[in-house]
Amino acid sequence: MGFEQGVLAILPRLRRFAAGLARDPADGDDLCQATVIRALEKRDMWQPGTRLDSWMMTMMRNIWIDETRARSRRSETFVAEDAGLSVGADGGQEAAVTLGVIDRALRTLPDEQREAVLLVMVEGYSYKEAAAIVGCPVGTLNSRLVRGRDALLGTLGDGV
Amino acid sequence: MSVSREELAAFADGELGEPRRAQVAAEIAADPVLAEQVRAHAALKAQLSAHFAPILDAPLPERLTAPLGGGEAGVADFAAGRQRREARRTLPRWSWIAGPALAASLALAVILPRGGETPEGYAGAQLAAALDGQLVASQPGDAGTRILLSFRNGAGAYCRAFSGNTQSGIACRDTAGWRLDAAGASAAPQQGDYRMAGSSAAAIMARAQDMAAGPALTAEEEAAAKANGWR
Repeated sequence: MGFEQGVLAILPRLRRFAAGLARDPADGDDLCQATVIRALEKRDMWQPGTRLDSWMMTMMRNIWIDETRARSRRSETFVAEDAGLSVGADGGQEAAVTLGVIDRALRTLPDEQREAVLLVMVEGYSYKEAAAIVGCPVGTLNSRLVRGRDALLGTLGDGV
Repeated sequence: MSVSREELAAFADGELGEPRRAQVAAEIAADPVLAEQVRAHAALKAQLSAHFAPILDAPLPERLTAPLGGGEAGVADFAAGRQRREARRTLPRWSWIAGPALAASLALAVILPRGGETPEGYAGAQLAAALDGQLVASQPGDAGTRILLSFRNGAGAYCRAFSGNTQSGIACRDTAGWRLDAAGASAAPQQGDYRMAGSSAAAIMARAQDMAAGPALTAEEEAAAKANGWR
């Protein structure tokens, strides 16, 4: 299987991780697209036989962190997100309504807890694999996961 | 001996090695509070998995596939893309994730086996292998079929909710194999395959809740059930 086909095969999962990471499907697709382009540029650095999905998730996460930093520098230039949501008549409120409890709960998590929860509980990575993607020790990954999980359980209540 | 929250999570995720795993399992068996925490962990995992599952089934936008298919290369300008959207923040957002789940509008074709050795209405060989062998806690992240959760139905049979690229639904084990739950299927099968109305992951989870006689199996219970051949 060629590199492009390999990426195509895991694209739905990359898109899923991106949507969770970016907390927004549209931002998620931008992130996913940036990751695909970066992967094509750096394809020579991928070692065949190693996991392409882990390699790309790592890349995506790093792009996201860079973007988050850049965004915080730019943030004054733009309308605040919450204000933006209520602007205009066409769909803004509807959008706020369809933002489900799980999305809202995930949004409140710090990035490092959210990525740990997403990698293990949604993507199904082992702690070791998830820790390698994040670039932290397994124990750190484990405790971030627990803190994130407890926060989610607290927000979502016992009805889970 | 006490069990830390980290260890309890690792246990629920199938991450603890022996002999610690057996020790923790014994503590959990003796302590309903710990058992409840393990159950809550597994339930949250299943809920999150179901929440994001619609993305896997959604059509891929061309701007993501084009750079990989030899089409026109997309322009990856993350910042510009966001700026454009910041300027018109009135478009509905989130419906992409929440919409399909809420409306259960994503009807996946459930292909029922035709002929062969598999009885009508039962899981085919490939799906049956996943149902037989995969555990929620330890299944690979890129599994073609993901088990969402396992439970016992009112008759005491083991049932497993699953989500895959080609097939999603609930199957319950009986003497003949994994019988597919056909609730919501249209009345008239078309050439042996029929559509399960609203078989998005969220709808499957709702259906599982209706069918289950108790809480979802913990990782430990699931492993034990697998060891006994799901009988």
